[in-house]
Amino acid sequence: MPGIEALMHIGIKHYLFLSAILFSFGMLAVLLRRNVIVMLMGIELMLNAVNLSFIAFAKESGSLSGHIMVFFVMTIAAAEAGVGLALAVAIYKKFHELNIRFFEHLRG
Amino acid sequence: MLWEAIGFYSLAFFLIFFAYKTITAINPIHSALYLVLTMIGLAAVFYDLGAHFIAGVQLIVYAGAVMVLFVMVLMLFDLRAELRAFSRGLFSGMLKIISAGLLAGIFFAGSDSSIAILDTPAAAPSADVSRQLGILLYTKYLYAFEALGVLLLVVAVGVVAVSRIKGGTHARH
Repeated sequence: MPGIEALMHIGIKHYLFLSAILFSFGMLAVLLRRNVIVMLMGIELMLNAVNLSFIAFAKESGSLSGHIMVFFVMTIAAAEAGVGLALAVAIYKKFHELNIRFFEHLRG
Repeated sequence: MLWEAIGFYSLAFFLIFFAYKTITAINPIHSALYLVLTMIGLAAVFYDLGAHFIAGVQLIVYAGAVMVLFVMVLMLFDLRAELRAFSRGLFSGMLKIISAGLLAGIFFAGSDSSIAILDTPAAAPSADVSRQLGILLYTKYLYAFEALGVLLLVVAVGVVAVSRIKGGTHARH
């Protein structure tokens, strides 16, 4: 059982724990939800959790490369959201439904 | 130190609560709006960690652009009351929750036991982090930056092509 001193002294470990919790929530959103858009939101949540650990490590090591990596991850995440939403629109036009269970009927 | 701890724990509570609401809200619009609040909380955490520029980019790009894109796309759809928001099966659902908990536990244990390996910080970044970030981005990481520009152009063209698609699945010729 950690003492009250370890709980009160906020270090990199606390931020990494927060990042792990947010990542597992994003993973749960992808695993449990059946709406494609909400699954994409889960992916965004996971990417943000990883960004948080990048920033925490960048502060701990005094280097700015973590900030650069977060910048790149944000760019890729925006591109990924655009492509995913365009695919969701294309599939909605065909099935009028966004549930993932219809996606097993895709062909061609 | 006390106020630092209070700030961190209130931010962490805010983030975890809204992330939980994101994955449990039945209406996808509510999920998107709770995710916007999560992004804003993360921007506050970034600011707290000294990444001021990244906090601003987080607010502008995520809370401002990406989530607005999500909400706009959701408004294109016919939002009936969703009957099957969650996957079926209590047993498999429990397995999924347990696996996510195990993953978080692996992260906890790994970071807890290996954090001592890290070098102690040589020098904390000085006040003008944004200036140093800009210099680094346009010298050391210039090629990656240009490659990202090309990638964004390709993605923009590809998104237009995909969303104008005719036929595709189940097309009758």
